[in-house]
Amino acid sequence: MLIFDKVSRVYPDGTQAVKDVSIHLKKGEFCVLLGPSGAGKSTLMNMVNGLVEPTTGKIILDGEELNKKNLQTIQRSVSMIHQQLYLIPRLSVLHNVLTGVLPQAGFWRSMIKSFPVKDQMRAFKLLNEVGLEEKHLTRRASELSGGQQQRVAIARAFMTKPKVVLADEPVASLDPAMSRSVLNSLKTAAQTHGATVLCTLHQMDYALEFADRIIALRAGQVFFDGSPSEMGKEVQIRLYEIERKSLEKQGPIIESDAVSPPLQVSKVKPKDAVS
Amino acid sequence: MKTANDVYQEKGWREWQTYHAVTPKTVLFLFFAFVLLAWSGHNTEMDKAAVETSKAVLSAVGIGDSDVLNGVTKFGSQAFPLKFESRTELTRLEDVDLQDLPLFSYIEEGVSSEYDVDTDTWTEEKTEYLVEPIGYLKKVLWMMWETIEMGFWGTVISIMISLPLGILAARNYSPHPIVYHISRGWLSFHRAMPELIVALFLVLIYGFGPIAGVLALAIHTSGVLGKFFADEIENAPKGPQKALSSAGANSLKVLRYTVFPHVLPAWIAYVQYIFERNIRTATVLGIVGAGGIGMELKGRWDLFDYDHVATILLIIFIAVLVLEFFSQKLRNKTL
Repeated sequence: MLIFDKVSRVYPDGTQAVKDVSIHLKKGEFCVLLGPSGAGKSTLMNMVNGLVEPTTGKIILDGEELNKKNLQTIQRSVSMIHQQLYLIPRLSVLHNVLTGVLPQAGFWRSMIKSFPVKDQMRAFKLLNEVGLEEKHLTRRASELSGGQQQRVAIARAFMTKPKVVLADEPVASLDPAMSRSVLNSLKTAAQTHGATVLCTLHQMDYALEFADRIIALRAGQVFFDGSPSEMGKEVQIRLYEIERKSLEKQGPIIESDAVSPPLQVSKVKPKDAVS
Repeated sequence: MKTANDVYQEKGWREWQTYHAVTPKTVLFLFFAFVLLAWSGHNTEMDKAAVETSKAVLSAVGIGDSDVLNGVTKFGSQAFPLKFESRTELTRLEDVDLQDLPLFSYIEEGVSSEYDVDTDTWTEEKTEYLVEPIGYLKKVLWMMWETIEMGFWGTVISIMISLPLGILAARNYSPHPIVYHISRGWLSFHRAMPELIVALFLVLIYGFGPIAGVLALAIHTSGVLGKFFADEIENAPKGPQKALSSAGANSLKVLRYTVFPHVLPAWIAYVQYIFERNIRTATVLGIVGAGGIGMELKGRWDLFDYDHVATILLIIFIAVLVLEFFSQKLRNKTL
């Protein structure tokens, strides 16, 4: 379905962000990318929707290699959920969701904010699926809570019937309970619509809880690739240390900044944790 | 005497630099700034203003004599009472039915004097006048309304010019750097042309009347509005734009859905300000013949009809106040 074939990326300043990464994602897989900041997670994701070009190697989506020619078609089958959400604060929830189909919408129609009933119905359905009631439809996006905004972003991402959904740290700014419920919505939506999800996370326990497959990156290379149950305790401790080291590089660690220790993590049973 | 640095060095502490708030440089700078201000102030007769004004104040409390105060009292004595009525000689009017006069108006008998240049004599003649008690006020109000309309249409045309130019002059939405520079230059050009000067030329082209004023307003303010608009577009948050464009939406759609909602409140505020400003400016544009209440003002001023002038000034003052009140209300609603 989505294939990274020996992909590397060197930025103009000489940083090797991604090095010889080969990943083969199956259809409908919920794949979590783990790794410290600067491990190449974002670069890998941005390659899929064409924001970053691979220096060598190729990316194949549904048997079609990504290049400049088919970039627009590919972009339409790939949706992205950003860390800062990037909703439009002054537009209503409904219009925010409808901007998901903007690329396909007719030009003049979209200029007067008119959308086909079919699209509106789909927006209602998606908003319902992620757990937002009708009363929120006309509220401005800026009036919603962080969790609700994240749900709107998820609904928007699924508007285009995407083959791949890229989620860049979708729960970075949410509290644990809200994070779980948002990740749950994302996973359910992906299952219902048969989309492959590539999601970066910082919290290992969420990865173990929700992922079908975990890919851990370190310095641009794949360090672990497998299902949560295959992920042994040693790997978790190793990952934890990597994360800690990368934090130390950035500056002195304040205890609360540190990643939660792996001992707690291993208690979570991945399969029945989904509530 | 030991300085702080000396002490620090003796003790072997690190040698950090202290600083003084006022240095000889500051004093020198202030001195030259003062000299420059004094020179420039003399050029613009600031000294005269100070002398004349204090003379006027002294004269007001009974000490000495002041030209300024005399001027003010002369205008004041002629301006009051304000003139609201209009008087027209009956002989100049056609189709007046004496049995059915307009509401509240009446016929008054008076004496009109006429000057004969050849004989250098004044001849007095009995004349009948048609007096309408608020006739002149009605005329002034109508002209004020015309002035407001001029401001309105000036704003509308200015929006029509500045909207496309503003988008082309926003660095991140301009199709090409050349287009960007041309539109920026164009907007600066519009901004650099004062309304009064433009109106002078337009009166030559279109003749006397409001159209010259409207176009003059539109040309100047479209430069201002376009620049504001372009700057607002450039400063709109990049995140949502990136989100939509990376999904494959073209730039006009991105503009419509992310930038416009963001800039709208600021933009409405600008348009309101420009509208207000246009009305205020439209009141003076008549002085060069470009329509509106200014034409009447200039005419009456040249005839030394200060009571009429005072009426016009009063109406302008009230109109500006009322408009400001409503625009404030509207702003509170939209933001």
